[in-house]
Amino acid sequence: MTAPVLSVRNLVHRFPATNGAVHAVNDVSFDIAPGETLGLVGESGSGKSTIGLLVTRLLSPTGGSIAFDGEDITRASAATLRPLRARLQIVFQDPWGALNPRMTIGRLLEEPLLLHARQNAAERTAEARRLADRVRLPEAALARYPHELSGGQLQRVSIARAIANRPKLVVLDEPTSSLDLSVRAGILQLLDELQRETGIAMLFISHDLETVRLVSHRVIVLYLGRIAEQAAAAQLFASPAHPYTQTLLSAHLPPDPAVPLARHEVVGEIPSPLRLPPGCFFAGRCPIALPACTQATPAMLAVEPGHHAACLRIADGSNLLAQPEGTP
Amino acid sequence: MTLLEVDDLHVEFAARGLDNRVRVASALNGVSFKVEAGEVLGLVGETGAGKSLTALAAMGLLRPPARIPRGAIRFEGRPLIGLPDSAMARIRGRRMTMIVQSPLTSLDPLKRIGDQLIRMQRVHGSASRAEARAKAEAMLAAVRIPDPKRRMQAWPHELSGGMAQRVLIAMALVNDPALVIADEPTTGLDVTVQAQVLDTLRDLVRERGLGALVITHDLGVVAHYCQRVAVMFAGRIVEDGPVREVFARPAHPYTQALIASTPGRIAQLGWTVTGGTPPDLYNLPEGCLYRDRCLRAAPACLVAPPRREIGPAHGAACHFAGEAA
Repeated sequence: MTAPVLSVRNLVHRFPATNGAVHAVNDVSFDIAPGETLGLVGESGSGKSTIGLLVTRLLSPTGGSIAFDGEDITRASAATLRPLRARLQIVFQDPWGALNPRMTIGRLLEEPLLLHARQNAAERTAEARRLADRVRLPEAALARYPHELSGGQLQRVSIARAIANRPKLVVLDEPTSSLDLSVRAGILQLLDELQRETGIAMLFISHDLETVRLVSHRVIVLYLGRIAEQAAAAQLFASPAHPYTQTLLSAHLPPDPAVPLARHEVVGEIPSPLRLPPGCFFAGRCPIALPACTQATPAMLAVEPGHHAACLRIADGSNLLAQPEGTP
Repeated sequence: MTLLEVDDLHVEFAARGLDNRVRVASALNGVSFKVEAGEVLGLVGETGAGKSLTALAAMGLLRPPARIPRGAIRFEGRPLIGLPDSAMARIRGRRMTMIVQSPLTSLDPLKRIGDQLIRMQRVHGSASRAEARAKAEAMLAAVRIPDPKRRMQAWPHELSGGMAQRVLIAMALVNDPALVIADEPTTGLDVTVQAQVLDTLRDLVRERGLGALVITHDLGVVAHYCQRVAVMFAGRIVEDGPVREVFARPAHPYTQALIASTPGRIAQLGWTVTGGTPPDLYNLPEGCLYRDRCLRAAPACLVAPPRREIGPAHGAACHFAGEAA
């Protein structure tokens, strides 16, 4: 097995709040291998975006460690991080907010080259043109400003900027969530091609289960900043082990009326990250919780090779929720 | 019984450009559909297709610079276009109501939930305060808000997104309307919450025999909560029919592309879809508006295609609808 591009251990992040702290990320560990896409799914407040900001060190973690490309960057200074950012990139959800409105697309594409590549102006212009072509932007776009482009085109610009310096890892934080369905498909196809060509590793953050299933090799399900389950994408979607994952997947609406829904009811509301309950965070809403579930944090248990979930009931195989009745 | 009937509706916006010339955006270009009592019609399409605009037009909420140069909207057989505001006010909020997308900005932040539900009834009817209060509480219970008596006292900012959306549903249904229009009722909610809210809405619509128009860009919502679907593109309905029928045998190339670009289909069939931008509403092309993006476009498409019937209550506005690809 090759060395991971990214190795995260016991990551913890707290945001200070008026009385106490928001426990956004609680003891999260994972690796991403070269050329791999790891999907990070969870509902709002699950800490998925915070993890994206932490591993790119746009935030400094409260605890734990982050190693990128063999180098510990947990406490790395801005000066140390700067050259490294050529290889560690992030694409955000909102391309309108991510691109400087006063720069032309051409300049926006040259900017990362200016920062990281030793090229003269002519080389940079040529490279920007090549990048635009690579992400299938029309050449005319280079002279335009962000407000003149559509959301899908702008997201292509963001991706082109991220890949400009041949990164090893790109974090994609909901890269297609603000786009229409057909435009979204085009962006996902582009990411797929880029990965096949260059072997970039990707951390794909999304709340959209269908998209994550399509693009990811492995998937981590987060609940309140803690990993509930992780497995190969096919395993996770075929046989979810954690009651939360089972609930989450059952609530998804497949865009096909021929697929029957079989929904697990969820009771109650998600606990506040300001006051997390002891033990398993899902215990209060879990239909099969035992008294022991509220006592201690459940350990990650193996369900099958490469498939782990943090649920006590996996130990004796009683972790599956009763099959719900299909809705009419 | 037909509740809402929209017939060849056109809406345009006139504005002066920087060069001081008047530019006209043709936002709706001949929208026609019906909502029958007891049915849920899904209206899907991408951003800018005119879904929300259609809803606003039906609710009589268009204001200049929007105008309706052509078309008709009838509610319970009564023409709405040109109806004086006072008459429209007796329909809107009472017989025909709306649930909007962003629940937390749609509630009055300075009024308690209960008072908003009471006000909604008192503005539109003659219920006494006590009656309105009792009904408000019952309505909160009906949308499955736990402990409704206590929640009556809650402020909007104390509610989660899902709870706030339930309150909006309660507001929309408290006056016993015949038709409810839900504009992206669950966009922005988490999946588990979305499922709960949609279940609540569907059950209430069913129990009360209402008609509903659900506007969404999410094909999953259409697939599982609507009986009929109308697909919009560039201000026109390009296809309509029973949900199962349209998903099984989409006839318009746009509908086909839309369904083929869902991740599940991509996983099965590979990357087949090329997306694109919608046409410029200031300068619409002749003929079929989907022509520029359509893989099947032919010279015939320079003439606007009429709706062609391809099955029982299933039609598509394409010259080639129903023919094998």
